[in-house]
Amino acid sequence: MQVPYQWLKEYIDPGMSAQQLADLMTLSGIEVGAVERFGPELPGVVVGQAKKVEQHPGRSNLTLVEVDTGGDILNIVCGAHNVKVGDKVPVARPGSKLPGERLIEETKLYGVLSSGMLCSAQELGLELGAEDEILILEEDAPLGVPVDRLLGFDDQILFLELTPNRSDCLGLIGVAHEVAALTGAQVVFPPCEPVESGRQLHDFIQVTVKDSEWCPRYTARVVVEITIKKSPLWMQLRLLKAGIRPISNVVDITNYVMWEYGQPLHAFDLELLTDSEIIVRRATAGEVLITLDGVKRELDTEVLVIADSTKAVGLAGVMGGENTEITETTKAILIEAAAFNPKNIRRTARRFALPSEASQRFEKGVNHDAVLDAQNRAAYLIGELTGGKVLQGLIDINSSMVKPWPVQLKPSRVNKILGMEIAQEEIIAILSKLGLPLKQVDEDQLLVTVPLRRPDLIIEEDLIEEIVRLHGYDRVPTTLPRGELTQNRESMPERLKTMVRNLLVSCGFYECITYSFINPANLNRLRIAGDDPRLRLISVQNPFSEEQAVMRTTLLPGLLKAALQNISYRELNMQLFELGIVYYPQKLPIISLPEETERLTLLVSGLAPEPNWVVPSRQAGFYEIKGALELIFKRFQIEGVNYLDRAEPFTHPTRSAQLLLDGKLFGFIGELHPDVAVDFGLEQPVTIAEIELAPLFSKANLVPRMVPLPRYPAANRDLAVVVSKEVCAAKLEEAIWAAGGELLDAVRLFDLYEGKQVPAGKRSLAYSLVFRTDEGTLTEAEVNAAQNKIEEALLGLGATLRS
Amino acid sequence: MLQKLKELENEARLKVKNAESLEALKEIKIHILGKKGELTTLLRSLAALDPEERPKVGSAANALRLELEKLFISKEQVLLDQSRGDKWSIEQIDITLPGRQASLGQKHPLTLITDEIKEIFIGLGFQVAHGPEIESDYYNYEALNFPADHPARDMQDSFYITPQYLLRTHTSPVQIRVMEKLAPALPVRIIAPGKVFRRDDDATHSPMFHQVEGLAVDRDITFADLKGTLLLFAREMFGPEQKIRLRPSFFPFTEPSAEVDISCIICEGEGCRVCSDTGWLEILGAGMVHPRVLEIAGYDPKQVTGFAFGMGVERIAMLKYGIADLRLFFTNDLRFLKQFV
Ligand SMILES: [Zn+2]
Repeated sequence: MQVPYQWLKEYIDPGMSAQQLADLMTLSGIEVGAVERFGPELPGVVVGQAKKVEQHPGRSNLTLVEVDTGGDILNIVCGAHNVKVGDKVPVARPGSKLPGERLIEETKLYGVLSSGMLCSAQELGLELGAEDEILILEEDAPLGVPVDRLLGFDDQILFLELTPNRSDCLGLIGVAHEVAALTGAQVVFPPCEPVESGRQLHDFIQVTVKDSEWCPRYTARVVVEITIKKSPLWMQLRLLKAGIRPISNVVDITNYVMWEYGQPLHAFDLELLTDSEIIVRRATAGEVLITLDGVKRELDTEVLVIADSTKAVGLAGVMGGENTEITETTKAILIEAAAFNPKNIRRTARRFALPSEASQRFEKGVNHDAVLDAQNRAAYLIGELTGGKVLQGLIDINSSMVKPWPVQLKPSRVNKILGMEIAQEEIIAILSKLGLPLKQVDEDQLLVTVPLRRPDLIIEEDLIEEIVRLHGYDRVPTTLPRGELTQNRESMPERLKTMVRNLLVSCGFYECITYSFINPANLNRLRIAGDDPRLRLISVQNPFSEEQAVMRTTLLPGLLKAALQNISYRELNMQLFELGIVYYPQKLPIISLPEETERLTLLVSGLAPEPNWVVPSRQAGFYEIKGALELIFKRFQIEGVNYLDRAEPFTHPTRSAQLLLDGKLFGFIGELHPDVAVDFGLEQPVTIAEIELAPLFSKANLVPRMVPLPRYPAANRDLAVVVSKEVCAAKLEEAIWAAGGELLDAVRLFDLYEGKQVPAGKRSLAYSLVFRTDEGTLTEAEVNAAQNKIEEALLGLGATLRS
Repeated sequence: MLQKLKELENEARLKVKNAESLEALKEIKIHILGKKGELTTLLRSLAALDPEERPKVGSAANALRLELEKLFISKEQVLLDQSRGDKWSIEQIDITLPGRQASLGQKHPLTLITDEIKEIFIGLGFQVAHGPEIESDYYNYEALNFPADHPARDMQDSFYITPQYLLRTHTSPVQIRVMEKLAPALPVRIIAPGKVFRRDDDATHSPMFHQVEGLAVDRDITFADLKGTLLLFAREMFGPEQKIRLRPSFFPFTEPSAEVDISCIICEGEGCRVCSDTGWLEILGAGMVHPRVLEIAGYDPKQVTGFAFGMGVERIAMLKYGIADLRLFFTNDLRFLKQFV
């Protein structure tokens, strides 16, 4: 809502500057987003009067105008043709400045000296009139006066950012009431008693409201003998300051009154209303209306229309019809001021995508009491400014049941809710500044009557807010809640999530956060197909783009995108993770809340650790991720995670594992399939993993149990074997444990070698073995015997010993 | 005899002084102080002395022995240091080389801020609660006093899944879910962090962002309690000198409602570009729980009151860490993420 300050002052004098008022309003609940000067400064541009208008001697398309600027007589060459002798016009004298740093100087134009320029509205920075049309000022404009001052360019515009509850401030008179509450100044209402003459309109106008629920009040007046032309310049300027484009006198006045009262109005060309009849009814199925914007609208019974005896002539409260539009030839009009059902207007405006100043006000609900004031004000102005005759009589079909309503207020409750003491006298003073009549029922009981202009004040708490906002939020003290202590630790799953994050961070991983919605094409690129549950996608009905079209069933697309972007920034070494929710529907389309489960997704690529001079770096891959996950399993004391040699549709066929816990699949690790990597535009190998967290969390045990420290020293032995690659590490270790017997205490693989030193198809593995017993210190012979058994077991698997 | 001792001392001092190696020094030591050394021999000959002279010479000889022993120890140290001088320089390390750092990663800055907010409120006796991200219209709007077809819904443009389900536009539905579960038990004191979604995508809006909701319901919760709690939060988060300012506002689920500003952390209230020259920065919305919301959730608004607040995590992170661009939170650029270690 744009509030031109000079215009507002017509209804109230705040007694302060526009900026001061803006600050005061902002701190008391009507946020003023900005205060801006209306127009630019125009140094040197003054009012002049055309004394002579002649044709340019050399060019037929130019005129020579002699203007009097109140002392100086200037000869000016002009390209426009609308200036007549006696017209007052804006004269940019030599040395003056127009918007856009345009400097005006004396120039010769085709042999004639031009001492300045006559200006169009657009050249002055106004969105008014045609480009080649000199702005004609009002007749009473004093000569020589600066034009910027005359046109009110120094006026300040307050840009209100209204919350939806304060629709009362969608009109300047409503704003004036708010200013009155803030400053104690009086509201002055504009004149709205039209002078009636001529026929009694009841004699020939028929208005019927067929749906009073959707149209609780409809008023109409008729004005005849109208001349449609531009409205006076002052009115056009005020509309411009309000952000409304001036059109013609009748339309401008309906907009002007809307800005005053917050009540939208519409004018129909009376001669185009068949039988001079208005019927407010629901549209019939299949009915068609071409609205003022030239678009053909298909209607049905959910739309309220204004119709005459034969056709729809407007979408009630949203937009008029082209068939009864005011044109230059209009002679008589019917003015409509009505109240419509807010919900219905909202639905209609949304359905046809026609949000307007009018529908915006109707959907918030107009003041049923003010409908008639606005009607009369519009008739008054049309009578005053268009030379039209306001016919006698008025149609007012009012089935509105809304009356001012009582709200009980206990001063003690005000203070209980606010936690402070505001004296009853002050409470009463604030309510009366708000213009809310009240009665003292008893010592602690006020009965406040709320007028229709404040539909937001319904319950006691609404009044409490009014009291505290006008008393001053800054005067509210600061205290802390008192009360019982409660247990307030985070839930176990949340604590476990924090632990997972901490562990991964300590392994060198950076946490990512990606969008919860993804492009479904990414799942195709991941070659997920068939009845894979990851394809049971919940779609967003109204996404911005395909990139955000469905809710994710895997976090992979987000992390792959992050990897791609980092590679493009030449951040080639990365260890990333995200901990987030995936969405699985019970049914599609969903009829209940979908299952939201936590996933942990990891991605590594490039070198790890970052190249440094102390320890070697290697290509990060499967084992970096597996190691990080193993650390989590260990921290949660989870044993029995199995790795199955099986790939996902999008992972490398021989560099992938599926993870099982108690025989149930809960995730995977794998290098991204090279073809999939190409599809995603990834130019370096990437390894990914995704696991469900719920199964881990349900088995997690965070309480370590101490075992007694060994009483006797251990014996350490190393053992190196060369064995076929087909024999997997797990099998070797299993054999070592089985053969090692009770004396074996620990086994650790400390070296793995493949290459020239060992035959093709084989590899060398070196283990460090720890032997120990609680019975006593082991003898050399005992350890040798145990190691021999282990060696024999490994020989049995086709291994050879390495010395 | 004393004369002999004196000569022995001079001879020893000279030899020690000239000794060039530890071996040579050892030889000299044996030669003088050893079992068959000169001093020992000399002492043995004491027996032949006059009994009157014996104690005098004896104590002089012992004093000399102690003196010489000290001399040998100090010369030994000198020779030892000389002999290891080369070894020290060979073992020299470059103390300016970078140390070996464990390769740590880091949590996302939004996680860091959320954790900090949680920590502050847990310390104040609030529990952490969570709710679904895909919500029903009922919990997201209806129960929070946003009627259907009401303009208040325009404040938060939603992503819909079906007419009944949508991506939650705020964390406020968690208020209702928690109260429904606890009613009529008191007190209720929770915060609810989480992702929220609004149909907005430009330089200052992301279609997905994070909020933390707060709710306190009890017999005597006041607007002043809300103000005090938020002041305490602002000071914990942004520093002990912080001031807050409440401006009246509107949310369908609170009454009275407020927008809450903190004094600008860039200019400290002087006015700058970040605060649009106001000296204040808006950080959250808050208010007293609307009686209708209490009622819907199962509490008697005549018996209990409550306050609620909701803050944007991105906004707080941007202010606290000086992040200028909202989009950085979701592009996961390592050059950005690595700045928060
Ligand atoms: Zn600032």
